[in-house]
Amino acid sequence: MSKHLVECTVNGEVCQLEVPAGRLLSDFLRDDLHLTGTKRGCETATCGACSVLVDGEAIKSCLMLAVQVHGRAITTIEGLAQGDTLHPLQQSFLECGGLQCGYCTPGMIIASCDLLKNNPDPSVDDVKKGLSGNLCRCTGYTQIVESVLHAAEKMNHGN
Amino acid sequence: MRDFNYIEPSSIEEASRLLADLEDEEVRVVAGGTALMLTMRQRMVQPGHLISMARIERLHGIDFDSEKGLRIGSMTRHADLARSSIVRSHYPVLASMAARVANPQVRNQGTLGGNLCYADPSTDPPTCLLALDAQVVLGSVRGERIMPLSSFIVDYFETAIEPDELLVEIRVPPLPEGMSGVYSRFLRTAAEHRPLVSVAVVGQQNAHICHDVRIAVGASTPVPCRMPNVEALLKGNRIDFDLAERAAAQIAEDIEPLSDARGSAEFRRQMVRVVARRTICEVFGLGNLSGGNE
Repeated sequence: MSKHLVECTVNGEVCQLEVPAGRLLSDFLRDDLHLTGTKRGCETATCGACSVLVDGEAIKSCLMLAVQVHGRAITTIEGLAQGDTLHPLQQSFLECGGLQCGYCTPGMIIASCDLLKNNPDPSVDDVKKGLSGNLCRCTGYTQIVESVLHAAEKMNHGN
Repeated sequence: MRDFNYIEPSSIEEASRLLADLEDEEVRVVAGGTALMLTMRQRMVQPGHLISMARIERLHGIDFDSEKGLRIGSMTRHADLARSSIVRSHYPVLASMAARVANPQVRNQGTLGGNLCYADPSTDPPTCLLALDAQVVLGSVRGERIMPLSSFIVDYFETAIEPDELLVEIRVPPLPEGMSGVYSRFLRTAAEHRPLVSVAVVGQQNAHICHDVRIAVGASTPVPCRMPNVEALLKGNRIDFDLAERAAAQIAEDIEPLSDARGSAEFRRQMVRVVARRTICEVFGLGNLSGGNE
């Protein structure tokens, strides 16, 4: 198997690591960089728990190879808060109860970041479509959608 | 996954040469990788070499020329197609289709070229592109050749691409003045991203009189198909609900549907009829009756 030097930015920090060609981005983040906020769920690109931002766009890291992110910027759930201040989406999921077991939450929040970047004032339907690549087996989604709408409002109009 | 080598050539010639040299070994081309990674992780394919298209400049970008039409580099992602201002203004039906492929994460990674080369019937782009009379450009060390999309997609998961060829770009001819289209599909459940039925209708009309129409049906059939009998039935006629219903029934009769765990042939036929009727009605100004399909 060929080995490759992957140089990328992860949550703002430059990272250089030699990886085998077959290293998945999800394993690179969790096992090599110990960023375990990104979850491995179905491993078949169905659940979206492994979603991360690559150059600001959400992808499923169980489907992407680490070599494919050479030269690019990755943001994981660990990279959203500013010190002790949570990202508005994180704060909103907390306030609206947008989680139960929490396993899908990193993926939901990452997918929501991408959604709100492209559509800062989404409708309920827009949120449902924006999160259509993510599964939650606890909540029934109602409070997840509310969390995203609440965050959008806060981000648009301040607190 | 089995161990493999990952190679990133920087030109079509280099990639083609690699593909020719490695022909006897298990080799796969990777574009975005969404479908390939799944099949590799499920060990349905176990290539020893992956040839990545990512660094080949020629395969990227979208351009439009009012005479030549649209050129879409094969590495264009579904999200790029959906957001492109060129595509949205000249081929809104194509942008609208691309905005619905799979889910947001897959649209940010999967490419149009990868989608077409994989030739999975349960997907959106081929049906829409067929109704737009799209062509594909294939490249290798032997040069380039152009073929209609209808000749490129040969069968269930099979295309006309040669082992040393790459899909370079997709071309869509300009739409005549006043021609517009609708792409609709039927998903069995809201959570399932693979259409069970897809219908694209591109038509030109004046006060409900059909001057020209192209109809393509996919997802329910092994390869997407044009419907020449039904196109002839509609051309030159005033389209009303009765004619739309008759045309849809003819489409349902003309297709040879797949029959599998996701839907029996008879179920697919019925759903094709429903989606086709609604889509024809929408294109010819008889109202948006989309109801359950999207």
